[in-house]
Amino acid sequence: MNDSIETIYQAILDGKIDETADGVKAALASGLKVQDILNKGLIAAMDVVGQRFGEGEFFIPQVLWSAKAMQAGMDLLKPHFTQDEQGARGKIVIGTAPGDIHDIGKNLVAMMLEGAGFEVVDLGVDVAPERFVDTAVKAKGHIIALSALLTTTMPGMDDVVKLLRDRGLSHIKVLIGGAPVDEAFREEIGADAYGIDAMDAVRKVRELLGRAIG
Amino acid sequence: METGHTDQCVPRFRLLTESQITRIHHNVLRILEEIGVQIHHEEAVQLLAGHGARVEKTDRVHLPAFMVEEAIASAPSNLVIYDRTGRPAMELGGRRIYFGTGTDLPKTIDLESREIRDTLAEDVIRSTLISDALPHIDFIGSYGLPRDIPRGLHYIRCFQLEVENSTKPIFFTAESEEDLQVILEMARTVAGGPENLSARPFLIHYAEPVSPLTHSQEAVSKLILCAEQSIPINYTPALLAGSTGPVTLAGALSVAVAEALSGLVIHQLAGKGAPIITGVAATTMDMLHATVSYTSPEFRLTHSAYADLFHHYGLPIWGTAGCSDTHFPDLQAGAEYAFTLLTAAQDGTNLIHDCGYMGQGYIASPEMIVFADEIIAMVKRYMKGFTIDEPHLALDAIRDVGPGGHFLGERHTLDFFMREHWRPGLLNRTNLDNWVRDGKRSLSDRLLARTQEILQTHKPAPLDEVSGKALDKIWKGISETGRK
Repeated sequence: MNDSIETIYQAILDGKIDETADGVKAALASGLKVQDILNKGLIAAMDVVGQRFGEGEFFIPQVLWSAKAMQAGMDLLKPHFTQDEQGARGKIVIGTAPGDIHDIGKNLVAMMLEGAGFEVVDLGVDVAPERFVDTAVKAKGHIIALSALLTTTMPGMDDVVKLLRDRGLSHIKVLIGGAPVDEAFREEIGADAYGIDAMDAVRKVRELLGRAIG
Repeated sequence: METGHTDQCVPRFRLLTESQITRIHHNVLRILEEIGVQIHHEEAVQLLAGHGARVEKTDRVHLPAFMVEEAIASAPSNLVIYDRTGRPAMELGGRRIYFGTGTDLPKTIDLESREIRDTLAEDVIRSTLISDALPHIDFIGSYGLPRDIPRGLHYIRCFQLEVENSTKPIFFTAESEEDLQVILEMARTVAGGPENLSARPFLIHYAEPVSPLTHSQEAVSKLILCAEQSIPINYTPALLAGSTGPVTLAGALSVAVAEALSGLVIHQLAGKGAPIITGVAATTMDMLHATVSYTSPEFRLTHSAYADLFHHYGLPIWGTAGCSDTHFPDLQAGAEYAFTLLTAAQDGTNLIHDCGYMGQGYIASPEMIVFADEIIAMVKRYMKGFTIDEPHLALDAIRDVGPGGHFLGERHTLDFFMREHWRPGLLNRTNLDNWVRDGKRSLSDRLLARTQEILQTHKPAPLDEVSGKALDKIWKGISETGRK
């Protein structure tokens, strides 16, 4: 492997933001292909991070710092993407269900998604169904991801699915999650996917989009 | 500058006040002086008589308070126990806590069939391997009492199997003084001579008086032998409130402590300053089933009380925890393990034995040693308390995040989560869906799997070949002739 790609890979595993950025700058300066830096450096490293997390060797804070390092690298690569590459990246519009201001789960998922290389538009908490849908349309989002902690706010998820259906926007997928949510509820409201936890949410986004990254 | 300020808060527990300690201690002194103890050992009786004890008939010995207090003063307050390789393994003293298994369980719950059957020599090897592998098991006992070894030889054989399969300090029983001599010969061989063994002992002998207030010929012989050879001994009574002791806890405690301290007096006269661990087990007899509870709340109260007393005396203290009264690992066992391990840790007893015991000290169930290890880890984290200083008060991180933000991505979180939070190894904290997806495995399933994994993969540091052969020779000589 090229030295600077090796540096990027290791820096991401170690959750080191500055070193990742330096590695990407060096890789670009040495004329490496943007796709190689992305695939062999950034994505390869995050795959290992995800794998280690799944095996109980990495913990959430470490995954998040790796994700931050990955983001720093992505920011430097972005200007070098072609128009097609830019448009093709998976974009997720995320927020908590209407009426729910519990956002730690949503934040975790957002950070994990960014770490996996997806673009995330975070609408924050207590997001109205119209705002989810309007934003997804305007920002050309592929997925609306929403979470609830309170059982009382679960119906708001239903409203988002209905609104998409009413407006004929079924190509925009809906991913749901949160403590009271389960597979049966997903089926009941006709959402496209249910994430068991943050890692599973990333897995489901990949399945929905049919690709590993944006 | 000494400010009296400390950055670490830790759980503190004490049952007795100073005046309650004094009151119980005075009661103990009155028992020893006015009522006395029976000692079935002529040499010991003469030794005591020669140092100020009053002997009534031939074996009833009344100990004046000064003898008891001299023994408390001359016994070491801190005791370093080494491992087989001569490295310090346990520092018994203060409120330092160490955990280990016990000895002599006649029955074993088979790891595969789950049937309760006779314990075999193979089980002793297994429990030794498991104990050797577990990070929070600090010392090992035979755990089982093997049926397939001829009676009278099993203590010797168990010691050999333990020393061959673990480097950890060994807590052992012996049938008689002759037995003990053989085991000590084995230990001297491994340590490289008697001087090495007494300088860096890797073993603790267990012997006990008989409640109420009686010292047997055999127990005293072993007590004196250990004192003379400077071999650490744990000399502690097991009293049953209501049958072998008074039904009231203060009375039961007083009698048991009198038994332990009278043993201490004999021991310190036989070898001033010789290493000894003391304490008592004063539990209740179940008045409906005529059984001995290893986990009754009354036992935990007397445990806390004698811990306070012996801390006051400044002596290394024995303890009991990680055991259950029921016969099969179930909810009762889980509750009793957690209850006893936590209270023993809070009591600050040093040498906490019986981890992995089931069925009131009758049944072995090897995966329960693994369970005890997990609970000990949890208890140790709790006992560590937490730090209260600027970085830990986290004002900068709180300011950075502010209201409504989150701490997951903070450098502060990354820097501290490993040290600040305990992570279970076997207890379940997955979410429901993941647990279902992974096959709904119970703690029992995980314990059995982990135990099998240890047995298949753990390789203890081998005993050097010369020692191994020497032990074989000793064992061969004894098992063939039956003579010790």
